[in-house]
Amino acid sequence: MQMPKPDQSVIERRDTICRDLRNLIADHCVVDSVEGRRAYDADGLSAYRQLPLAVVLPETVEEIAAVMKYCHREGIKVVPRGSGTSLSGGALPLADAILLGLGKFNRILDIDYVNRCVVAQPGVTNLAITHAVQADGFYYAPDPSSQIACSVGGNVAENSGGVHCLKYGLTTNNLLGIELVTIEGEILRLGGKHLDAGDYDLMGVMTGSEGLLGVVSEVTLRILQKPATQRALLVGFDDTGSAAEAVGDVIAAGIIPAGMEMMDGLAINAAEDFANAGYPRGAAALLIIELDGPEIEVNTLIDRVTKVMDSAGASSLKVSNSEEERNLFWAGRKSAFPAVGRISPDYLCMDGTIPRRRLPDMMVRMASLSQKYGLRVANVFHAGDGNLHPLILFDANETGELQRAEDFGADILRACVEMGGVLTGEHGVGVEKRDLMNIQFTEDDLKQQQRLKCAFDADHLLNPGKVFPHLHRCAELGRLHVHRGKMPFPDLPRF
Amino acid sequence: MIKVTGLEDAAVVIADAMANQQHLNVQSMATKSALGRDVSYDSYLDVSAFTGIKDYQPDELILTVRAGTPMHEVEAELACANQMLAFEAPDLHKLLGTQSAGTIGGVLATNASGPRRLTAGAARDYLLGFDAISGRGERFKSGGKVMKNVTGYDLSKLICGSYGTLAVFDEVTFKTLPRPETNISLLFGCEDMTLAVAKIASVFASPHEPNAAAILPGSMAASAGVDVPGAMVVIIRLEGIDVSVSDRALHLLAADPSGAKINENSSSALWQRIRDVELLVNQPGDVWKLSCAPAAAPNIIAAVQDQFDITFFADWAGGLLWLAGPSGASFGKALRAALADNGSGYAQLVRDQADTKTVITPFQPLSSAHYALHKRVKAAFDPLSVLNLGRMHDGI
Repeated sequence: MQMPKPDQSVIERRDTICRDLRNLIADHCVVDSVEGRRAYDADGLSAYRQLPLAVVLPETVEEIAAVMKYCHREGIKVVPRGSGTSLSGGALPLADAILLGLGKFNRILDIDYVNRCVVAQPGVTNLAITHAVQADGFYYAPDPSSQIACSVGGNVAENSGGVHCLKYGLTTNNLLGIELVTIEGEILRLGGKHLDAGDYDLMGVMTGSEGLLGVVSEVTLRILQKPATQRALLVGFDDTGSAAEAVGDVIAAGIIPAGMEMMDGLAINAAEDFANAGYPRGAAALLIIELDGPEIEVNTLIDRVTKVMDSAGASSLKVSNSEEERNLFWAGRKSAFPAVGRISPDYLCMDGTIPRRRLPDMMVRMASLSQKYGLRVANVFHAGDGNLHPLILFDANETGELQRAEDFGADILRACVEMGGVLTGEHGVGVEKRDLMNIQFTEDDLKQQQRLKCAFDADHLLNPGKVFPHLHRCAELGRLHVHRGKMPFPDLPRF
Repeated sequence: MIKVTGLEDAAVVIADAMANQQHLNVQSMATKSALGRDVSYDSYLDVSAFTGIKDYQPDELILTVRAGTPMHEVEAELACANQMLAFEAPDLHKLLGTQSAGTIGGVLATNASGPRRLTAGAARDYLLGFDAISGRGERFKSGGKVMKNVTGYDLSKLICGSYGTLAVFDEVTFKTLPRPETNISLLFGCEDMTLAVAKIASVFASPHEPNAAAILPGSMAASAGVDVPGAMVVIIRLEGIDVSVSDRALHLLAADPSGAKINENSSSALWQRIRDVELLVNQPGDVWKLSCAPAAAPNIIAAVQDQFDITFFADWAGGLLWLAGPSGASFGKALRAALADNGSGYAQLVRDQADTKTVITPFQPLSSAHYALHKRVKAAFDPLSVLNLGRMHDGI
């Protein structure tokens, strides 16, 4: 992965820059020692590492604004970082950029039950929002697997999902407002405790923008009342095609489960070895279907889903009869990544989305790619929305295996796009999928996206080298080809 | 008027307008042309030929349709598979005095969402992807035809509610949802707005999954056929499968025996009137909509009631106020002042009876920093201001 060539003149000014930063914010908030910076040299995509120019850990929004204003004036790049759990390298530092850590913004500012929202600083963890309101029966719906560690500011940057987003949506659907610091150091509020804003939906654009448009300094999140009951079904199938069809049958029956997960044979056995969750060894595919809501509704829907599964040819079916049992059903799925980690020295976790009906084709394709690259692949899917997480098993100590695994992964993502899907369902593009963007998008598509970037950050100072394979200067992107006074296509009817 | 049949044609027309420094008004059925500022344009770009369902996969919850397709056609197609667009787009034709609910593109361009917006999200939450021509005359696409997608910037959000000022879109892809099997409504009389908002908050703090909540003044409720004692009437909608809806109603009525229940037919009819703002159609004067924090609604209403003779009702648990009041700038100014005194939100003039738009801007004015950013975003898509210039804000 090629990152943009570092600007040597900035690197040479490092001492001056650190001194300037210390004049803007408290001394202890600027980290410039090698050991101190080392702690920030990677995010969740740990195959890539880079020491940042300096680490800045502001404590107030005014400090963020001062740092941004300084960097803008001096032409210094900024890489924002929440908890650093990105799986696509969104927070990967650059040698000539300061790393702006939001970890000190860790306070919940307002819990408002009448308006059903929580106002929090961006460094608060996802799970802490639920913890703050659960005693009163509320929770925050988006639940990425990293929710114990990932920050809500990072969730906004990546538009994070989770196993329940089929029913409850992604971050973008649960976000009411943000405070944003622009690269010029301006503090803007978008949205709030009201539902609609009535102007351009810049909050919607900020969500999932991977730190390229601005730094989120506060969030207002919608909270929901916890469902009265949650029950899950564990359903085994002898072939993945029938399992995929069964998922469609549930939706066709008018049922939107809270979560609908699928695992393939290799993942089932690895998870069962790890968690003893009672998964059907030998099944080719496993579905975990969770229903939530009022007890009488959940029980009725469990019956309906059971019938759907029977007609779809399920080979085994269990229904949770207690919270303990439901948690056990999930224990295997939730430990799928470490479980696969036990059967292989290394693995690469991919993330793509396909139309769900193409799942059987995708399984066939993956089997043949697996053979081609000589590497095993285990699959866990958010089946309800077609989001795939193939885990490619490899050994980084074997020469060339990492490269082979990455090539295998890229082929899977190409197949996703070819089948009508997209490159990333919930992990973001970051550096990981940056160079694959032109598979999904034309040059014109990408240029239009970058023009939007220019509206926020004309000098490309925020998180450069992420998301877009080619950086175009804003002046070049803004150029127009107007044939002045010439009437093209004169035969077109004009009334 | 230049009628185009597809994006290729539209690109040509836009290139032409760029070359001749013309400003175009993009429209299809023009049912929402009353919304926004009054601006004169050099010509119309008519996209009413962009019609037809392109792809519908009910079990994938995906619908791709051309933007000029009339809403009633989209809804009829979805009804065949027992599905819906969950954001419940309002049909404002009676309020605005137009012929129909217009097109799906118009719904998107205005981000029009109804009562279920409170719990299920707005139009912007259901648009998954689109293809379009920018004001630069260049074709581009964004998003995709799958439900989960974080590849690149989420331009679907931006395009929703941009009133055609950024791009001309053709194919749009939505997430659809199954229609609820049934719905009923519960009615609770309250003495005032504050108690009504508190009543709704208490229902939303229960696990009984209300899915819409409105507040009507008692007299308005009575004229809508809902006779419940109380200055204000809280209406709570429950949706889902029959046994669940009945059970939840039972619990909520046990907790507050003062409530009454109306059955599916009456409930559906009542919510359709709330959704389409029919309750204000016959009121004199202008009609404004105001989006605020639900808890701010009582103060805002009290502040404007002190100064004006108004008729109003609230949807979205109090977070959406529809108000009929006198024409002229002072009513809108008072609304915006009350809003500013009670947190954040926006007030938009929807029905203008007497050239109110000439004295007050129909959209909530932007701060200078917001305006500057909006202007740069506009320029990123439409640098020569070919598309719907000034429809939302002067110069944008």
